[in-house]
Amino acid sequence: MSASATSTASAGAPSGAPQAAPATSLTPVFVRLKLSLLRNGLRQSSGRTIAYVASLVLSLLFAAAVLLGLIALRGVDHAGSLGVLLAAVLTLGWAAMPLFFPSGDETLDPTRLVMLPLRPRPLIVSLLITSLVGIGPVFTLALAVGSAIMLAHTAGAAVVGVLAVVLVVLVCVALARAVATANVRLLTSRRGRDLAVLSGLFVAIGAQGVNIGAQKLFGSGAGLSALEPISDILRWVPPASAVDAVRAASEGSYGRAVLGLALAAVALGLLLWWWQRTLTTLMTSPDSSTLQAVEKDSARKQRSSGGGLQRLLPESRTGTVILRMMRYAWRDPKSKMSWAMAFAVGLLVPVISALQGGGSIYTAFSAPALLGMQMYNQFGQDTSAFWMVASTISSPRDAYLELRARGLGLALVGVPFVTLVVIGSAAFLGPWSAFFDVYGLALALLGCLVATGAMASALFPYSIPAESNKNIAAGQGAIAWFSLFGGMLVSGVLAAPMAGLLIWLHVADLHGLLWLLLPVGAAYGVGIAVLGMRVAAPLVARRLPEILSAVSKG
Amino acid sequence: MANEPENIDQTARTLTPPDGPSARADGTVPPAVRIQGLWKKYGEQIAVAGIDLTLPAGRFIGLVGPNGAGKTTTLSMVTGLLRPDAGQVEIGGHDVWHDPVAVKSRIGVLPEGLRLFERLSGRELLAYIGRLRGLPGAEVDKRADQLLQVLDLAGAQNKLVVDYSTGMRKKIGLAAALLHNPEVLFLDEPFEGVDPVSAQTIRGVLERYTSSGATVVFSSHVMELVESLCDWVAVMAGGRIRADGPTAEVRGDAPSLQDAFLELVGANGRAAGQDLDWLGGGAAR
Repeated sequence: MSASATSTASAGAPSGAPQAAPATSLTPVFVRLKLSLLRNGLRQSSGRTIAYVASLVLSLLFAAAVLLGLIALRGVDHAGSLGVLLAAVLTLGWAAMPLFFPSGDETLDPTRLVMLPLRPRPLIVSLLITSLVGIGPVFTLALAVGSAIMLAHTAGAAVVGVLAVVLVVLVCVALARAVATANVRLLTSRRGRDLAVLSGLFVAIGAQGVNIGAQKLFGSGAGLSALEPISDILRWVPPASAVDAVRAASEGSYGRAVLGLALAAVALGLLLWWWQRTLTTLMTSPDSSTLQAVEKDSARKQRSSGGGLQRLLPESRTGTVILRMMRYAWRDPKSKMSWAMAFAVGLLVPVISALQGGGSIYTAFSAPALLGMQMYNQFGQDTSAFWMVASTISSPRDAYLELRARGLGLALVGVPFVTLVVIGSAAFLGPWSAFFDVYGLALALLGCLVATGAMASALFPYSIPAESNKNIAAGQGAIAWFSLFGGMLVSGVLAAPMAGLLIWLHVADLHGLLWLLLPVGAAYGVGIAVLGMRVAAPLVARRLPEILSAVSKG
Repeated sequence: MANEPENIDQTARTLTPPDGPSARADGTVPPAVRIQGLWKKYGEQIAVAGIDLTLPAGRFIGLVGPNGAGKTTTLSMVTGLLRPDAGQVEIGGHDVWHDPVAVKSRIGVLPEGLRLFERLSGRELLAYIGRLRGLPGAEVDKRADQLLQVLDLAGAQNKLVVDYSTGMRKKIGLAAALLHNPEVLFLDEPFEGVDPVSAQTIRGVLERYTSSGATVVFSSHVMELVESLCDWVAVMAGGRIRADGPTAEVRGDAPSLQDAFLELVGANGRAAGQDLDWLGGGAAR
């Protein structure tokens, strides 16, 4: 399609018809397009504008700090290793970014240009230059300039430094573009969007990894020399090789400097070639809606799953609701994300405090706290599909069964998890003597959160947008925070009698009776959860239309 | 495809309400739907401006009107998904808002603009909704099998609904609405965005369903479709009912329902294109 369109256009189209004007460059058009998209995106809501401006200011401040920091490191031993490593990490970030944040830049999707008579080469040049507009490239520029200044000690090295800065920025941007183009089929498919929703999780895990790495690095006392083994490899990987070229030039080994620059230049050339090739293929072949490639794997996957659990659960509303909950926890990216976060954070709090030493067994309360929060906004998690649930609830009894099933589903996963975390905390943080009271109190807290979660689901439902990193629809933030923090507060108050009992047993020196907290706490948790759901059920039954309209805004 | 008629027959049998619409003690059959003084405002905008409407049982009823006429709002309020500002709705003689137990088991709904549980496969979705409605599991699975066959979804039954096309979504939504064998079926734009083959399938199922005495109420703005399917129509515009009654009566002397409709909503004779004299193939550019 585009190939034939291009040839007509360049062969000299009749006057009046749209024409690809080879004389005027495409670049200003694309730059203006990008700025317009940005401006119009910000115009949609003031919250978005504020967020964007805030992130812009923060990035610029951070970039300035990085720039100054790097300049301050000028002349320090092993600064070359640091520069190489930073360039490599940055490149990795650029490669991964389009996979996780595909919606961030609409000009990243070249299929939107498919109907226009554009030739690949000018298109690529224009898109590349357009990509240089933005926060990311400015930050990259700051880092590259900082590294160059840090490492350049001679006039020759300064010249190499200028070339290196240009190469680093261009390679990073071209890499992001090429990766995005190669994966555009994935990114615009349902699976790609699912992946994007999970990106927060990857970022969190990555940040944790960087954190641990940094601690290892600077905790060992070896300083920057600890970087040497890694950077010895990375200095041959473009575009880090260009940064290393500056160091080499400063040390007078111009052969290595030229080699480093050449490696980066070759990488840039290869990336541009790869990008052009995928772009051409992409724009001249049918798109995924025609190919229906997704069809097969989704069907294949389903045949094997769902057998075992289904047989174990009862056929009633209880079993049906729990089965759907479990399927959603696995298949729906939002649910999966939310469960994974609850598990990860609930587990990480005691683990990290154990690693840092001086942790207490009481950090195990993070597990019931985070798992219990899953009970909040139950119907918002259904999205507007809640109408299907609503159309089967005709009495407070139905509503109670629905809430109880969701509470049971949560307990089915939550109680074993809490048990494991408490056992683990007792084993690694100790003392075992506190096991019964902590376990009992944890179960009581879980019950209280299920109770307040049921109430909050009935009174403060809000929408969870399906396809973005947001978990609260615009305009419902206040409801969401109020319900969550209010609920946590009330849960604390509800759990207070158990805490009181614990303190009293300690104060009255009745340590022999501390085990009582386990049965009492468990019973208290169950009792209060049932009570909460009993109170919430008539509210749910009465407020079905209101809940439906509140959860349908995503 | 060769054994399709057989399947339709089987499904038609299971879909037939056991004793037809619920009869009153005095033997008269109440209307399928009775609406009185129904109002809904969104802020300043009046979506539905006081509707009074009685729809007879056992008919194929079309609710027609231009976009923004208030069809979806009306259907949402009639089916209990949206609370009206004022007014009363009875289905089979039971008040929707005061007697939900009697109403919800008697109606099937296919709303427009609301999602399904899309991360379930088509089959899982039917199994879910059927059990939620309290039907025995074996019965749900049997009915789901037949519905999937008849609606030509058997091949896609293990595919997630999120990967379904528009037509397939409408069909699985229809199957979910029919599963508990309701007396009255409310469908909001069931043919919107549906290909001709799927439309014909949906049509066949609905015709069999009404021929057994059940009531279908569906909204549409495609007049030809309504005229060929419905024996009763209600015309809506600007949040009000402009006309209702047997299709032939509403059509009156007009050559088609389309003409009658345009007359009713006051859009007839609005000649388009006088200002677009440059548009068209040939000389001028």
